Amino acid sequence: MLLELRGVSQRFGGLQAVADLSMTVAPGSIHGLIGPNGAGKSTVFNLITGVIPLTAGEILFKRERISGLRSAEICRRGIARTFQATALFREYTVLQNVLVGAHRLAAPGLGPALLWSASYRERERRARERGHALLKSLGLGAVASQVAGQLPNRDQKALALAMALATGAELVILDEPLAGLTDQEKAETTAVLRRLREQSLTVLLVEHDMKAVMGVCDTVTVLDHGVRIAEGTPREIQTNAAVIEAYLGAEEPGA
Amino acid sequence: MERRAAAPVAGVGLIALAAATLPLITRDSYYLDVATTILMNLTLTMSFRLQVSTGQINMAHISFMGIGAYASALLVTRVGLSFWATLWLGALVAALLAVPIGSVALRVSGPYYFLITFAFSEVVRLFFNNFFEGLFGGPSGLVGIPKPGRLLGLVFDGKPALYGLMAVLCLIVVVALVRLDYSRFGLTAGAIRQADLVAETLGVNVFRYKLTAFVLGSFVAGLAGVFFAHFRQVLHSSDFGLEPMVLLVVFTVIGGTGSVWGPVIGTIVMTLASELLRELHHYEILVFGAVLILTMLFAPEGLVALSGAARRRLRRLRGRAPAQAGAGLAP
Repeated sequence: MLLELRGVSQRFGGLQAVADLSMTVAPGSIHGLIGPNGAGKSTVFNLITGVIPLTAGEILFKRERISGLRSAEICRRGIARTFQATALFREYTVLQNVLVGAHRLAAPGLGPALLWSASYRERERRARERGHALLKSLGLGAVASQVAGQLPNRDQKALALAMALATGAELVILDEPLAGLTDQEKAETTAVLRRLREQSLTVLLVEHDMKAVMGVCDTVTVLDHGVRIAEGTPREIQTNAAVIEAYLGAEEPGA
Repeated sequence: MERRAAAPVAGVGLIALAAATLPLITRDSYYLDVATTILMNLTLTMSFRLQVSTGQINMAHISFMGIGAYASALLVTRVGLSFWATLWLGALVAALLAVPIGSVALRVSGPYYFLITFAFSEVVRLFFNNFFEGLFGGPSGLVGIPKPGRLLGLVFDGKPALYGLMAVLCLIVVVALVRLDYSRFGLTAGAIRQADLVAETLGVNVFRYKLTAFVLGSFVAGLAGVFFAHFRQVLHSSDFGLEPMVLLVVFTVIGGTGSVWGPVIGTIVMTLASELLRELHHYEILVFGAVLILTMLFAPEGLVALSGAARRRLRRLRGRAPAQAGAGLAP
C-alpha cells in the first residue's frame, strides 16, 4: 500500500471531525473520498499533508510514518496536494508558480543563489524546461507568462494540479478538482487524471460530482460524520445500503 | 523572464555610478555626510525589505544594528581589536543573536510576530540604556569610539574616505541582496509572502526560509551598525529605539516592498526629504506620517510601482491587456 491511515482521529474541542479512520490507497490508483457536507473529507486531507496535527492514530506513506512531520517534509517524501479554494501565488506568472512547485528538484537555499554557480544555473534552467513541458502537457503552454491571479477558473485548477505535479510527488491529493467546471472541462480534467494514472501516479481526491467520481475512480471511500461507512469499487458503493442512507435527503450517489 | 535578467545589472550599475560620481561633483562635507547617511540607510532598508519579502515585519531590525554597533565599539575600545576585524565580528554577533531570537519570534506570524519583535526591540534599548552603565555608557551614551583607522596604506578618518568605505559596503550588500531577490531564494520568499501554507505543502520549509532572511538581514543591519558607531563616534540607546525604527519602515514602505528597488527609491527620496525638513525638528515625523498615509492611499505598492502603474494605465488606454500585475506588499 502506498498510503495507509491507521485509526486516525481528529477532534476540534468537542467536535469529533474524524473518528478512528482507517483506509489504504493502492499505488497507481485513483481513489475517491466522498461523503455529505461536513463528513470530514477536507480534514482527512489536512491530516495527511500535516496541515493540522492528528489527535490519535498514525499515517504511513511507503511504510514510513509521516504523521507528525512538517508539511514541507511530507511533500519532500512524495505527497503533494491542491486546496479546495484554489490556492495559487496570485501575483506570480503561471511558470513562476510551477517553479515554486519544483522547489525540491531545483536548487533551493541561500548558498547556491548567492554564488550563482554554473550548476545552480543549470538546475534552474532544467527546472524551467521541465516547467514548460509540464504546462504544455496540461494545456497551459499558451498562458505560461500570464499572471496566475487573472486566469479563468479552469486554468487555475489546472495550474494547481501542475504545481502539485512539479514537486515530483508520487501521490497527489486533489480537493474538489472539478468544482465550478463545465461538463466539457470536467471531461478534460478526468481524462488528464486517467493519463496520470497510466504514468503510475496515484491520485486521492475529494469530489462532489458523483457521476465523475464513479466514472474515474478505482476505489471509493465514503465518510459520514468523520466515520468510514463504506469502501469499495464504484459499483459496490452505488448499491451499498449505508451509503444510500447517509445521502438520503441530500443527493443520491450515481444520480 | 528575459527582462528580469537585464534589470539587476542595470540597477546595480546605476547605483554604483551615482555613488562613484558624487565625490567628483562635491567635496563639501555636508553633502558627503548626507550621501553617507543615504548609503547607510540603504543597507538598512534593503535588509529590512529582505525580511518583508518573506512576509515578516521585524520591528527589532534596528536593534540588530544597535547590537552590531555596541559590539564593535566595545571590541575596539575594550579589547583593542582593529575596526577592520570588528566590522565583520560586530555583524556576526548580530547574526548569531538573531538565530535564537528569530527562532522564538518566528513561531508566530502576522500581528503577533510584529508585537514580539517590537517588545524585543524595547528590551534591547532599555538594556543598553539602563544596564552595565560602565560598559554601554547608560543614558549619557557611549563616547570615545575611534574612527576606522588605516587599511592598506589608506587612512579612513576624513569624510570622503568614510563615504567611500560606506559606498563599498553598501554596494556589496546591494549586489548580494539584488542577486538573492532575482534568484530562486527571492522566488520562494515571494511565494511565502503570498501564500505560506501553499508554499509549505509544495515542500518549502517556511520557517527555515524566514529564519534565513531574519539572520541574514540582522547580519547586514549589524554591519551598518558597526559603520554607524565609528562614523558618529557616539552611541545612544535611542539611536536604536522606536523612532528610527518607524522611519526605517516608512522609508521602505514608501519606496515599495514588492520590488527589491523599492527601498532604493524610498531611501534616497526620504533621506533627502528628511534633510530638507531638518528645520521642523520633531515635527518632521508628523510630515512623514502624512506622506505615509498618502502613499498607502494612492500608491499602496510604493513609489517604485508608480511607473509600472502608469505604463499599465497607458496600455489599457490603448486597449491592450495588462501583461503583468505589480507585485505589491501583503504583510
